[in-house]
Amino acid sequence: MTPSGKITVSVASRVGHVDLIHAISDQVAALVGFDNDEILNLGLAVREATINAIKHGNGLDPKKRVRVTFTFDDDGLEVAIRDRGKGFDPNSVADPTLPENLFQPSGRGVLLMKAFVDRVEVHGQDGKGAEVCLFKGRREVPDRRRHRS
Amino acid sequence: MLSKRRSEGPVEILELSGKITIGEGEAELRRDVQDLLDGGRRKILLSLERVGFMDSAGLGELVACYKRANENGGTIKILKPSGKVADLLSLTKITEIFEIFEDEGEAIASF
Repeated sequence: MTPSGKITVSVASRVGHVDLIHAISDQVAALVGFDNDEILNLGLAVREATINAIKHGNGLDPKKRVRVTFTFDDDGLEVAIRDRGKGFDPNSVADPTLPENLFQPSGRGVLLMKAFVDRVEVHGQDGKGAEVCLFKGRREVPDRRRHRS
Repeated sequence: MLSKRRSEGPVEILELSGKITIGEGEAELRRDVQDLLDGGRRKILLSLERVGFMDSAGLGELVACYKRANENGGTIKILKPSGKVADLLSLTKITEIFEIFEDEGEAIASF
């Protein structure tokens, strides 16, 4: 049976908490049944969204919290990372792979998020906080395909 | 992140291991490379064979180290990135900045 549920974690905006959220992501992804590659990829995307929330969204202000919600069901796992920042449009972030941006020391986080999960959305660009939602679907297992045919 | 230094003639080899990520990892990489530059070393080979993981902060620090070395008349090259780290270097096109080698002898001879 596929586990389903919701787990919410709230942390102060400290760089040291990035590893904690990453570790929780690994545990939840394993619980959901992702394989090692998928766990690694999801963890990297969650890590990048968390770094973004702590550094850019909340400006490393420990009084501002980052809330991370893991929601999982038959379809897959959604991770929502919420901060107190203004939000951003993931499609308007400069492409860090263009020659003029290659030497920039930052700006690669969104690229990594998009590369390692199936969907990236940013909600709430209204000045009341932003939420980055990452979704990774389950791969179809042969048993399910058989049932559907 | 852990690092071990050794010299092969004029080339300083920095063997890194573990994770290069936001916080300690990126700071240690910055410090290690700066120490070499401050010590007058200008030919630096970063061995990433035992680095299992990097995030955007680590990748950014790698690029920043390259720029700092370049500004000081030096060069940094990369040896044996593996697994996920090789994927990340390729995805971000950091492979277009650095010369990357699979063989240490070839890397040393290229300086």
